[in-house]
Amino acid sequence: MSILLNRETKVLVQGITGRVGRAQTKWMLEYGTNIVAGVTPRKGGEVVEGVPVYDSVAQAVSESGAEASVFFVPPAAVKDAACETIDAGVRFIVVVTEHVPVHDAMEVKDYATERGVRLLGPTSAGILTPGEAKMGIMPGNMFQPGRIGVISRSGTLAYEICLNLAAAGLGQSTALGMGADPVAFTSLSDLLALFDADPETDLVVIIGEVGGTQEEHAAQSIADRMTKPVVAYIAGHTVPEGKRMGHAGAIVQGDMGTARSKINALQKAGVAVAEYPGDVVKLVQKKLEQYYPAQ
Amino acid sequence: MPPSSSMLCDGVNLLQADMKLYEFEAGDLFRQEGIPVPDFIVTDNPPQARRAAEKVGTPAVVKAQVLTGGRGLAGGVQAAESPRQTEEIARRILKSSIRGLPVNRVMVVKKAEVAREFYLGVTIDGLTGKPVVILSTAGGVSIEETAKTHPQMVVSRQVSISTGLGLPEAKEMAQEAGLDGDESTAIAGILHKLYHVFRKYDAMIAEINPLVRTVKGEYLALDAKMEIDDSGLFRHPGLKLSAEDPLASPLEKKGRQIGVTYVELDGEIGIVSSGAGLAMATMDIIGRKYRPANFLETGGGISEELLYNVMELVLQKKGLKAVFLNLLAGINPIHEGAKGIVRFLREHPTDIPIVARALGNRQEEIWQILREGGVEVVTDVATEKSVEYLFQLLEETR
Repeated sequence: MSILLNRETKVLVQGITGRVGRAQTKWMLEYGTNIVAGVTPRKGGEVVEGVPVYDSVAQAVSESGAEASVFFVPPAAVKDAACETIDAGVRFIVVVTEHVPVHDAMEVKDYATERGVRLLGPTSAGILTPGEAKMGIMPGNMFQPGRIGVISRSGTLAYEICLNLAAAGLGQSTALGMGADPVAFTSLSDLLALFDADPETDLVVIIGEVGGTQEEHAAQSIADRMTKPVVAYIAGHTVPEGKRMGHAGAIVQGDMGTARSKINALQKAGVAVAEYPGDVVKLVQKKLEQYYPAQ
Repeated sequence: MPPSSSMLCDGVNLLQADMKLYEFEAGDLFRQEGIPVPDFIVTDNPPQARRAAEKVGTPAVVKAQVLTGGRGLAGGVQAAESPRQTEEIARRILKSSIRGLPVNRVMVVKKAEVAREFYLGVTIDGLTGKPVVILSTAGGVSIEETAKTHPQMVVSRQVSISTGLGLPEAKEMAQEAGLDGDESTAIAGILHKLYHVFRKYDAMIAEINPLVRTVKGEYLALDAKMEIDDSGLFRHPGLKLSAEDPLASPLEKKGRQIGVTYVELDGEIGIVSSGAGLAMATMDIIGRKYRPANFLETGGGISEELLYNVMELVLQKKGLKAVFLNLLAGINPIHEGAKGIVRFLREHPTDIPIVARALGNRQEEIWQILREGGVEVVTDVATEKSVEYLFQLLEETR
């Protein structure tokens, strides 16, 4: 088991004929992902890496039975593509696209929430269930199968920490990127709840960063509801106030959103917070011993 | 429910995530949507300020046009009794700088006789992903401060993006704030229009502080603040005119030109990273003993050319002791980038130690290219180990 994605999941790739879409489709197929169709408007009839391309999502879904979709579409097209995909009955969407207008993200989130559809992103590195399937751009060789759930706001930092975990023999059930935009489609709290309900996950690692209040809010739901142990690392203690660090959401304003406020909130909720990314491994080992003594 | 302070912006940030508009630019947009904005004239020279005062009438107010809050306290907003005094004040303000920003333009506007002040704002709650509309009967002061000290004076409401803020809802908010009769109708109308401006221009924030009722019973927006989402700018070509960021340093501007995010800091270790999160973590680890000289994130577009340019940029910073490259090859063809790094170093030899940690697809090839080009390569799986090596190297060369 895993969350949201496994080797059976029938995956659609939107924007499959673009440079990035094409290259990533190849990597996803090599990893074992069950890609059943692609969509690019006006490119219907083409075949990319053996995957049939359709003009519309409705057509692709009715021909292939796709249940999940990964987006490599341009930022200005994300809103309409997301609504079209939701209307076609797809229940899970991963938006890799960067620079999606925040007002569009608000509209998509509203539309999806009304219809019970789950989205990751914008600016998600994707989702990867080791040894089974991946949607997005996470490099497969940096992850190992195991029982740690990983939620990251940043792609590269997820690779760093999963490499460290794997080197210590700690594989992942599922690793996913929630993105670091000002408005995230799915909140950190909701993602934690999915891992909490997954019988194949023993512990969850949160890789957060400065900006926004996702971690502060998640701390509250961890204290209230979470049954599994949680370990976190928050990047950016040295980020000066008011400077934006690459990610649109990574800007420190006032006292909320700083690394300090996130670390304090998480620690208060019983989360073990690593000072540096390399410390995550020992905190995970310690928590596992505490929660699951000598099995 | 009082808004949390993180949702509000009181203008204390010297650098911002999004494109801030000058007061006169936001004022023009507000006026176009029917929000009452007093007549103003913007100028960069004192004699014109005098003529402006003759036109708008005295007493007048001279307001520095800078992209930062706290202008009033810094002497950037001053009243003038006569056109002549307006010229003198404009001359002084145009020579000054506010929070490090030189004042290039001033606004001249007729002074209003204020009977009552309000705060009106629309922003985004990142957590719920909904617009938040805020109304307060304490205008002219920081809304964050009011929310802390007098939360009962702040009315805020999350709005469904699909239905928006209708007039009836705006009216409810005005009544909740304790306004009645004509005042409630007038304020609700302006709030409704402000929400419309926020949506129309992809704003992160649209704010009037203060909106005033004059002694004659007119309503006027005496300030105008807007920040536009960078990612939404393509829909507003007319706004791009002012998109030049007066707050960016020359190196930061150069970073933008070559297509990377470069933030100049005041330390001595240059940093190059293939991702934003990884770059922040690298800064944290380096911060144990040294200070980062910059933040630099390449994004997903690494090529030989890009990393050649990146090396040129990072090495321009004065006072560097070392450069640390932290590259994780996911989708990025780092073996291509490595060629650019060593080509730059061959053409521009330097005594500054360059330490690289690179992992992922084709890593052996990457290590070989870098080593042949004189870069110290660390192959450890954790960034900390590589940084410790860098620290050792710096201790030795002391």
